[in-house]
Amino acid sequence: MRLVTTDGELIERAATGDHSAFEDLYRRYARPVFGLALRRLGDRGRAEDAVQETFASIWRSAASYRPERGPGAPWLYAVARNAIVDRARSRGEIPSEIPDTAADAPGPSDRVEQGWVAWRVHRALEELTEREREVVALAYWSGLSQSEVAEFLSIPLGTVKTRTRAALAKLSEILGDDLQ
Amino acid sequence: VSTFDDMVDREGLDAGDEARLRRVHDLLVQAGPPPDLPPSLEHPPTAPAEADLVQFPLLPRRRWTLGAVAAAALVVLAFGGGYLVGHAKTKATSFAAKRVLPMHGNNAVALLRLAPKDGAGNWPMELELNNLPTQPDPRAYYELWLTRNGKAIAPCGTFRVNARTTTVRLSVPYDFKRFDGWVVTRQAAGKHDPGPVVLTT
Repeated sequence: MRLVTTDGELIERAATGDHSAFEDLYRRYARPVFGLALRRLGDRGRAEDAVQETFASIWRSAASYRPERGPGAPWLYAVARNAIVDRARSRGEIPSEIPDTAADAPGPSDRVEQGWVAWRVHRALEELTEREREVVALAYWSGLSQSEVAEFLSIPLGTVKTRTRAALAKLSEILGDDLQ
Repeated sequence: VSTFDDMVDREGLDAGDEARLRRVHDLLVQAGPPPDLPPSLEHPPTAPAEADLVQFPLLPRRRWTLGAVAAAALVVLAFGGGYLVGHAKTKATSFAAKRVLPMHGNNAVALLRLAPKDGAGNWPMELELNNLPTQPDPRAYYELWLTRNGKAIAPCGTFRVNARTTTVRLSVPYDFKRFDGWVVTRQAAGKHDPGPVVLTT
């Protein structure tokens, strides 16, 4: 059983002016928000602005979060989505591929689903240790084979596989019901 | 990406656990790598309350100062210092302004109050106009615009005045950073292009 503060609890604490809770939310979600903004806006500068705006909005509107309506991640996704849509509109674009809500129902397109999946997975990666994140990044996104990862890290191939399994197991626990 | 079987040591995994790990594997492949955070985003904001401030048109400092002084002088001349003090107390409870911009024109002044952006992405604004002429033509009106390079670009709402002091509330969804100021124009009946400027920031 994981004894970590939930996103919803952090949002509720942020609503009372708790800066440390806000900073925890930032550490968990800065990268997912930036990833979502980059994917939609295609410009790092504007994506950075969208991240700033997202967290300013979170701070301002945390009191509007209602835990009985659902967990924190979809609420945060909605806030980020609004900030990113604002940025897109400022350039006259029609932000069609970001869904209005983070509903579990299938989205209207693969791109919609892709954004939500990346949001959840990147959020979960933030809870891995540095070593766990490193092995996942090398195994999945470096283009290296498992043997090359082992060579790169100067560890046996079996250890790479064991670490990868441990990291996947932890991600499985973090993602929880999202795996269904 | 290598296959799940190549990447994970499956020894001792029961079917249920293996299914969950395979699902995580698929999600990682689908999600792709997370982006590197730029240096500007590496640390959380240390004073998030400051982010609450409205980011409004970036008037050149000198122009802003001159405008503020001119508008303040006009307001004082028109209504006396007591007006400002007394009025500020009542307004503070009726409209949660985070920023106040003075506007000025020929014998007329205005205060444009900006509230933080709401959850839907709109910026609530309150425009308090003093000494703007009433419109003899019942179909004529005034219009507030955002400007770029001094030119009225984005309409922010229309209104009429029928007293020495008129207060209207408007709301716009624009990104203020794209603009450099506001103007109020006098609009003749049936004319939708920006009319003559009567107030400016």
